[in-house]
Amino acid sequence: MSNGKDFQPKIVAFCCENSGWLAAEAAARLELGYPEKVELIKLPCSGKIDVLYFMKAMEKVDGVMILACQKENCKFLKGNERAKSRVLQTQRLLKEIGIEEDRVTIQYLAANMGNKFVEIVQNMYDKVRELGPNPGKVIK
Amino acid sequence: MIVAERKPIDEILGFLSKHQKIMLLGCGGCVTVCLAGGEKEVGILGSELAMARAKEGRPLEVVQRTIERQCDFEYFEGIRHEVKDVDAILSLACGIGIQTVAEAFPDKVVWPGVNTKFLGVNQNVGVWAERCQACGQCVLDKTGGICPVARCSKSIFNGPCGGSQHGKCEVSADTDCAWALIHDRLTRLGQVDSMREILPVKDWSHSRDGGPRKLVREDLTLESGK
Repeated sequence: MSNGKDFQPKIVAFCCENSGWLAAEAAARLELGYPEKVELIKLPCSGKIDVLYFMKAMEKVDGVMILACQKENCKFLKGNERAKSRVLQTQRLLKEIGIEEDRVTIQYLAANMGNKFVEIVQNMYDKVRELGPNPGKVIK
Repeated sequence: MIVAERKPIDEILGFLSKHQKIMLLGCGGCVTVCLAGGEKEVGILGSELAMARAKEGRPLEVVQRTIERQCDFEYFEGIRHEVKDVDAILSLACGIGIQTVAEAFPDKVVWPGVNTKFLGVNQNVGVWAERCQACGQCVLDKTGGICPVARCSKSIFNGPCGGSQHGKCEVSADTDCAWALIHDRLTRLGQVDSMREILPVKDWSHSRDGGPRKLVREDLTLESGK
């Protein structure tokens, strides 16, 4: 479903400070650009993410993502696995009220992957742009 | 602890279909511990309800509050001034809390947000199991600390029955036979001979057979009744 070329989705990207956040900094050093309506929020570990954070974010934006360390590479051992289960739970909650579950996602990357960071963020932006505005947005 | 589970979202949305502003009221007691109706669950459900109604184009204002306990009247005083301004209260407490809310606010519509399941224990993350049926006359002294009323599918007092196989109950392969557990525990304690004692028929008048129960402790009651 396309909603016009002028739709610019707002996206929140929660970033593990050991991977996603550092990858964003690497992208900045490489002077790689990504859509400006993507807001980054640093977490001490992807395992800090909670269904509540996702849901509160979804009240205001069109899509949310968590950028976590590669599988089996979490500094706190299982943080990225826990983040994955919370993504799945959030997707279930959104699905039961008729909101596309693809608006919430988890992606894995390493600290030195600046290019990968930009690719992930751009793909999410394009996907949410294709989905259109979040129909459940409470705070416009 | 009292174990509860959130009701399906469609059922809750149905309750709230005619309201524009509600209070979503969590409880800091058992339902917080069993992750069904504490502060975090209030936040999550509040978001879900607000988004579901925004999607329908009929916004719902959700005032989110969580009080210490919903089974004690004193904790409602702190929210009384806010309750005036809402159409209804959606309580995430157990059945006891929900009824107490209804009694505390007699002129306000109160909806249940959870199904109260049983009195149980947290066995693992996300897993709860029934342990007590509140039958009113505890026999755990005779059964090694394992309750045949709540944990035997038939609540029999002199088991195991013929349906016990390899420590499991015939009702479900996932259910331990309570009497096998009792036997093993009494063996470990060196008290297995006590199983030879025939336990008398249970007096169910202490349970629900006597109608709704009430406990009055005269050593605690005050003349004012409060």
